[in-house]
Amino acid sequence: MSRRGRLARYLAGRALLAPVMLWLIATLVFLLLRVAPGDPVDALLGTRASAAARDALRQQLGLDRSLPVQYVEFLQGLVHADLGQSLVSARPVTQIVREVLPASLELGLAALLVALVLGLAAGFSGIARPEGRLDLAGRLYGIATYALPSFWAAMVLQLIFAVGLGWFPVGGRFPPTRVPPSGSGFYLLDGLLAGSWSTVTAALHHLTLPAVTLGLLLSGIFDNALRLNLRRALRSDYVEAARSRGLGEVRVVLRHALPNALLPVLTIAGITVASLIGGALLIENIFSWPGIALKLQEAINQRDYPLVQGIVVVVAALVVLVTLVVDVLVALLDPRLSF
Amino acid sequence: MARQLLPLPRPPLLAVFIGLALELTGCKGSLPGASPQQLVVGFQGTIDTVDPAQATTVGALQLLSAIGDPLYAIRSDGALEPRLAADLPIVSGDGLRAVIPLRQGVRFHDGTPFDAEAMAFSLRRFLAIGKLSYVVGDRIRSVRVLDPHRLELVLSRPYGALPQLLSSANLTPVSPRAYRRHRDRFLPDAFVGTGPYRLGFTSSQLQRLEPFAGYWGPRPRNDGLSLASLTTSSGLLGALRSGQMDVLLSPSLQPDHQRALHRQAAAGLLREGSGPALEIGYLTLLSDRPPLQDPRLRRALALTIDRPLLTGRVSDGLRPPLRGLVPPSLPGAQASWPSHDVAAARRLLRQAGWCGARPLPLSLTYRSNVPSDRLFALTWQEALRRDLPDCLQLSLTGMESTTAYRQLGDGAFQLILLDWIGDFPDADNYLMPLLSCDRAEGERCLRGASASSGSFWTAPGLQQQLVRTETLTGPERLLVLEQVQQRVAAASPYIPVWSVQPRAWARPGISQPRFDGSGRLLLAQLSREAQR
Repeated sequence: MSRRGRLARYLAGRALLAPVMLWLIATLVFLLLRVAPGDPVDALLGTRASAAARDALRQQLGLDRSLPVQYVEFLQGLVHADLGQSLVSARPVTQIVREVLPASLELGLAALLVALVLGLAAGFSGIARPEGRLDLAGRLYGIATYALPSFWAAMVLQLIFAVGLGWFPVGGRFPPTRVPPSGSGFYLLDGLLAGSWSTVTAALHHLTLPAVTLGLLLSGIFDNALRLNLRRALRSDYVEAARSRGLGEVRVVLRHALPNALLPVLTIAGITVASLIGGALLIENIFSWPGIALKLQEAINQRDYPLVQGIVVVVAALVVLVTLVVDVLVALLDPRLSF
Repeated sequence: MARQLLPLPRPPLLAVFIGLALELTGCKGSLPGASPQQLVVGFQGTIDTVDPAQATTVGALQLLSAIGDPLYAIRSDGALEPRLAADLPIVSGDGLRAVIPLRQGVRFHDGTPFDAEAMAFSLRRFLAIGKLSYVVGDRIRSVRVLDPHRLELVLSRPYGALPQLLSSANLTPVSPRAYRRHRDRFLPDAFVGTGPYRLGFTSSQLQRLEPFAGYWGPRPRNDGLSLASLTTSSGLLGALRSGQMDVLLSPSLQPDHQRALHRQAAAGLLREGSGPALEIGYLTLLSDRPPLQDPRLRRALALTIDRPLLTGRVSDGLRPPLRGLVPPSLPGAQASWPSHDVAAARRLLRQAGWCGARPLPLSLTYRSNVPSDRLFALTWQEALRRDLPDCLQLSLTGMESTTAYRQLGDGAFQLILLDWIGDFPDADNYLMPLLSCDRAEGERCLRGASASSGSFWTAPGLQQQLVRTETLTGPERLLVLEQVQQRVAAASPYIPVWSVQPRAWARPGISQPRFDGSGRLLLAQLSREAQR
């Protein structure tokens, strides 16, 4: 079978497995939530409500039905893309996810951009003079940003740049004195589409500090990955062959070594994107970023079963999709891979 | 020697980056797009719903008190004030019917008039779907419109604190026109009421309040405000310090942050306002099984509570010590529990057969997600080690609050520290939810609030006394309340520890924050001083 045929078969297998994986995740979340101590009725009414009031609410929320019935209803809803209603706010889960997911994605993508720029610049810096001062500084940078506890770094940056210097807001996604833009939920995009520069700058003003913080913390991985792979590539036979053909050093690095060194970075970027889809809880928490991780944490605390289930299923589906796309990209770019 | 592969680039990248960042940040310390007439009030937590039938959180009720109007309000001095009602209810001789005259000339934010039909619609809606409908439904049987400006409530039993009940923010009327499709379901993301502000925008993290031009009462002193929530206490503190927020509300702020703000206010750097202490912190004692079945031991524990020490360590004195279950600001409150007396505690423990070679082992559970609870537990444990090392051995267990609440009614905790705030300010709201018992066996409550609260304690005739306090008014009611509290203090199935006042801190240049008698910050009275 040709390589393209094998790739198609591999992708078809992954695509067929995806629903099974989602079903397993959904079932696991459903069961774990029911096993976990705590009751949504307590979270909603407190412990003082009468037994009758508690029973009435339990019935209203459908929690009086047997576990198998609740499970079947949950799966039926899932098949029809109906994730149910939040127990706390009575709003459709899909609507809530639509509101919070863009916030996490916007932060995640901005952070990834920062991480790639900083990480690749740092990783590439040492190439000019290996073991030189710049190379050492780059290495130190990679280790330090990778090793920093994210909550500590976020709080320190918040204290310096938001509280101390006042350059950036302490938290939130948009100035509290203004109404956020409506549309896709990606404020930068909505501002650009509406042609509102003030919206774009306001959104950017709020996005910068959390995105730079998260990007800084992620950049160490890219720095290390590029540094190691680039060094390995520069010692490889095909690079030596290129040099022996008389090609200039810049051309050797940029045309021959770098593309090969970037392939593992692409895989890491894919994994990072997949992990960021579920939000960055510590960053969202410290910067009060109204993303999906923060909402999930809130829903777990309130024992809001449908919302927890909905968020986990949506995130899982997106992670499956992203990893599939990354696999395809890597397969297309790297002819050495076999399936 | 290291080999140079590429010429070193030398662009001032850092300078470019910093320059770009500074450009983006705009002017330092200011809110982009902020109007100087707008205020930002910060609090911790989110507001998931603005439907009065659905709202239960402190933040949501604070919001509703600004965008809605109740029939009655409780002033900061504790006096009742008719708001949408024109006068106090006229109660029939048998106490089962109350006629409420309504204020005329009031309009909803959508321009429709407020009348008896609208009030009846809102009350019926709350009775049908309200999450806290058990608070009202237990007492109000039905609602009848007598004429456009008079409403009749049919009560299930006489109820002396009816106006206080009707001061609840949950019972604020909503426009029948705006809610016609939400008569029997919630409307979580819109609100049309009669309050001094209309809701311009709402999300879980931000609410924009705009002055309502057609408001019947005095116009707000500011030109609108935003209620903004942050997820961390330190974030809120930073936002106030850096000028990104004008006013901070205390609920959920960490105790040490509250202390810091209080000190800054004392130094004149901030303005502090506080409301009536309506939240109580208390210990629940599992009183229906050994060892705390023995009232001497419960009494001895009550005597070991050194409230000035505990409140000093936990809150730097911000939480006033409490020796009664009813907050001191409410009529009928009484300090019935004993003060700290180690010698008396030792005597009682000895009488019960403990001390010396046989110290009494007890386990205290505290909510691990409430910082003040942990501080209390550690301080009390140390105080007992110091004062009664041969008599009491206290072990501590932390537990997340939702998990703890779930197990409270199962009798899982020998001792647990909890708090409670009544749905509306009245003594009944503090006694009934802790002591009411539907079915009892001697001093053991088998079913009812006492059992679900985790103490399982009752006493013969106590339930009848509690029901009587609901029906009585005036000095007669105060007398029964006093008797009830003395009985409970003698048995000590609960030990009150402290009360909590809501507080708010404003930056210099903002008027002093003031609260009403229900513990809500009066948002309409906030203003920038230059504006006045």
